[in-house]
Amino acid sequence: MAAGSFLMHAKPGRFSSTMLSWILFATGIGLYFYTAQARHHENPDDRVTPTLAQMVKGITEAAVKPAEDDEPLADNAPLTQRLLASMLWKDTKATARRFVYSLALLVPAVLLGLHMGLFPYAGAFFLRFVLFFDKIVALSLLPILFIAFGIDELSKIMLIVIGVAPTIILDTFNLSRGVPGEQLVKAFTLGARDFDVAYRVVMKQILPRVLNSLRLNLKAVMLFLFAGEMIASTEGLAYRISLLRRHMAMDVIIPYVLWVALLLFVVDLSMRLLNRKLHPWFHEA
Amino acid sequence: MALIQVQSVSVAYGSPAKPVLNNIGLDIEAGEFICLLGRTGCGKSTLLRLILGSETPASGVVTVKGSPRQRPDPVCGYVPQKYSLFPDRTVLDNITFGPEVSEFNLLTRWSPRFYSRRREFRKEALQLMQRLGLRESDAGKYPDQLSGGMQQRVAIAQAFINKPRILLMDEAFSALDPGTRQGMQRLMKQLWRDTGITVVFVTHNTKEALALATRVVVLAKPAPDQGAGILMQFPVAQPCAEAEIGELTTRLESVFGGSEDLEDSLVPTA
Amino acid sequence: MRIPPHDPQVRMRNNESQSAALPLTSTTWTTMLRTTLIAFLLASAAYAETPSFTVGWSIYAGWTPYHYLMKSGILRKWADKYQVAIKVKRFDYAPSLDAFVAKNIDACTMTNMEALDMPAASGVPTTAIIIGDYSNGNDALLVRNGVQFKDLAGKKVLLVQKTVSEYLFDRAMTINGLRDQIKRVRLINTSDADIASAYISDTSVTGTVTWKPMVSQIGKQKGVVNLFNSSQIPGEILDLTVVRTDVLARPEGQRFAKALTGAWYEMMAQMSGPNADKVLTAIAEGSSDTLASYKEQLSTTKMFYTAQSAAQFGASPELQQKMALVRQFCYEHGLLGANTKSVDDVAIQYPDGKVQGKPDKVRLRFTVEYMQAAAQGKL
Repeated sequence: MAAGSFLMHAKPGRFSSTMLSWILFATGIGLYFYTAQARHHENPDDRVTPTLAQMVKGITEAAVKPAEDDEPLADNAPLTQRLLASMLWKDTKATARRFVYSLALLVPAVLLGLHMGLFPYAGAFFLRFVLFFDKIVALSLLPILFIAFGIDELSKIMLIVIGVAPTIILDTFNLSRGVPGEQLVKAFTLGARDFDVAYRVVMKQILPRVLNSLRLNLKAVMLFLFAGEMIASTEGLAYRISLLRRHMAMDVIIPYVLWVALLLFVVDLSMRLLNRKLHPWFHEA
Repeated sequence: MALIQVQSVSVAYGSPAKPVLNNIGLDIEAGEFICLLGRTGCGKSTLLRLILGSETPASGVVTVKGSPRQRPDPVCGYVPQKYSLFPDRTVLDNITFGPEVSEFNLLTRWSPRFYSRRREFRKEALQLMQRLGLRESDAGKYPDQLSGGMQQRVAIAQAFINKPRILLMDEAFSALDPGTRQGMQRLMKQLWRDTGITVVFVTHNTKEALALATRVVVLAKPAPDQGAGILMQFPVAQPCAEAEIGELTTRLESVFGGSEDLEDSLVPTA
Repeated sequence: MRIPPHDPQVRMRNNESQSAALPLTSTTWTTMLRTTLIAFLLASAAYAETPSFTVGWSIYAGWTPYHYLMKSGILRKWADKYQVAIKVKRFDYAPSLDAFVAKNIDACTMTNMEALDMPAASGVPTTAIIIGDYSNGNDALLVRNGVQFKDLAGKKVLLVQKTVSEYLFDRAMTINGLRDQIKRVRLINTSDADIASAYISDTSVTGTVTWKPMVSQIGKQKGVVNLFNSSQIPGEILDLTVVRTDVLARPEGQRFAKALTGAWYEMMAQMSGPNADKVLTAIAEGSSDTLASYKEQLSTTKMFYTAQSAAQFGASPELQQKMALVRQFCYEHGLLGANTKSVDDVAIQYPDGKVQGKPDKVRLRFTVEYMQAAAQGKL
């Protein structure tokens, strides 16, 4: 290959692009299993780097067996019942529930940002405070959250909301401020009232960008969710990971981490597809 | 009483205040086609926004039909140079936006009656589209799929469907290529004649002003650090004889220099 | 698990810097390569001369003395005597265990339970060379509103699950004849960093199991009662210094263990000697603590101040009985690994040669060899 083909004007073919994009994956996986094999050769009981077989076994058991503190199932239970009673499903459900609640609670954040951007009094009232709150490290407020919301679900969800909402508010604020003034004036001259302008003009226009901003913040949501679950809980994906870490059950932890990555990817992808479907006029810059 | 009255209006921006308009007085009668002519930064768009109601003067008063302007409302239609169309709506939905929001608020918008009324709005919109030279096949397109000229036609249709008394146009054709621009001018003139609407049209193109206006109002700053005033104004007969256009052009050239587009003129403001 | 409150101020630096600085100004590859090689050879030569070992410790009443051990120069003296280099590094508790299992450090402080379920169960054979103390009230079950054991079913209890806290809870319920009710108590896994504020602020939570200093902090609250504590199960929660068995197999490793043990008991003598307050103050500084607070923690910690007493406890059948309870708990809670089919698969060997579990699966060893040598003044 000539040196020139690595420069800016290079046009890698479909095949070589695909191959290139998988090299790092292959290297990572290869290195892992090489290390795992070497460690197992030296210490057959090694738990730090489980082999593929161990991980498959670990995750299969997680997917068909109930958590140890739950009632065990009858031996002849059908597969669907096994899956639904399993540790993995229980944890996924718990985490997903918190995740969905937090996303739902971010909707008011979007609306607040919209109103702050459009109504000067709302802006004057909230902006400085939100800017201040945005700089607060939410995790450090935990003791206060415990006092205000108890140690159950609410404090975990509020941790996420407090951690992510300011970003979403400010983002929506900026987006709604970014809508050209001509649009607002035009809408007014066509007979729109303030709330028509807010919801039927500005909101509809910025919605795809707001969804994108939510997508970008999914990781932050997940991070706070994990922090919350690790601090106090009885179920959930992060709870399990922190518990399994106590005895280095990497054979379950690694598949769990991959499962979380897959779930996040699916959520992100479906939000992207939804965005495209709902807003055919929108072209990402 | 004149339909639009601008009475000793002054505007200044910023701090320390930089004067933009200085003691402007202007009466506009119903049915006039006014062109506000001047170079960029001379305050003609500001004057338009005062009539629109999106800005208030530092001193003086602007009234439409006798009442002072407070905020943009359906009395005046508006066609800006760009960002006129809602990007999230199709051509048809852009045109029906006016009647939709005028008749239905956020809640009633979900009533069954909305959908039957919308069918009627759409029918009307399609007729308007035809009249403005838009194809029916464009109805389902989004604004960014249209050419600049087509977009401005839609913007005009969007304003016209509400039948406003006054139409305010801010450099509406300035971004178009010369051929399209002439077509749009002809179209605008036709609409003005047919409807008897009052138009205030901001432009920095002398030829455009003379082609459209029944009265040209020329704004200029006496000195760079002073607010603009009305340098001169003169009626133009529409349709206008070649000779008269020639004479008026020469008169404007004597002020602004040889170019038809004031942005290109070499001589500084009078 | 004892994860002491994190205190960034007490971060220690390594005694010695291991890596030789590489001159990065050299321009040619050959020069760089040569320099690197020389530096590497010099470093390894130095390494070969005085073998170097690292001890990891974390903040806890019975382990904080390691800070003083290093600062006072006692350890240096003993290391020089046995011609080894000993580095002491402070960790948070969980990372210290990870580092030990990953074989990044040679010795580490941990409880008997963790020694069994972390390194031993992960296939890293481990030997306990020093039995420093046992928890004698440091760990406690606290409840509010006058709740009794029989009322606990269905109530919320905060604790760090799968650690000595859960072990203590398990034992408390068993001793009170409520073993069958354990599963009906709602255990909520709560990070030790937040457990005090979580318990104090949320009054809907009935109980918590934790350790000092959190126990002292929570105990000050009105209406909170110490329902059960580790003084009721003496000798079951041990605080050890463990070394990897393969390190001890080498002669220089044995020298390391001797040096460490010798230093430890010289310090223990100082801690209980006439100048104790001065020493204790210095130790308390190691965890940014005050003398009064440290003394309060020591009052519920049964320290083995003499090598004699520690060796005696290590050799007693009592230790074997206590460990039998601990390993059963670990096995029942899956802490020995999901693939461990029997409690005997992670075997423990005692100083008298007895083995709990399969003799070919010995992973944790208790030895009194070094403590005895210290007691007899042979170090």
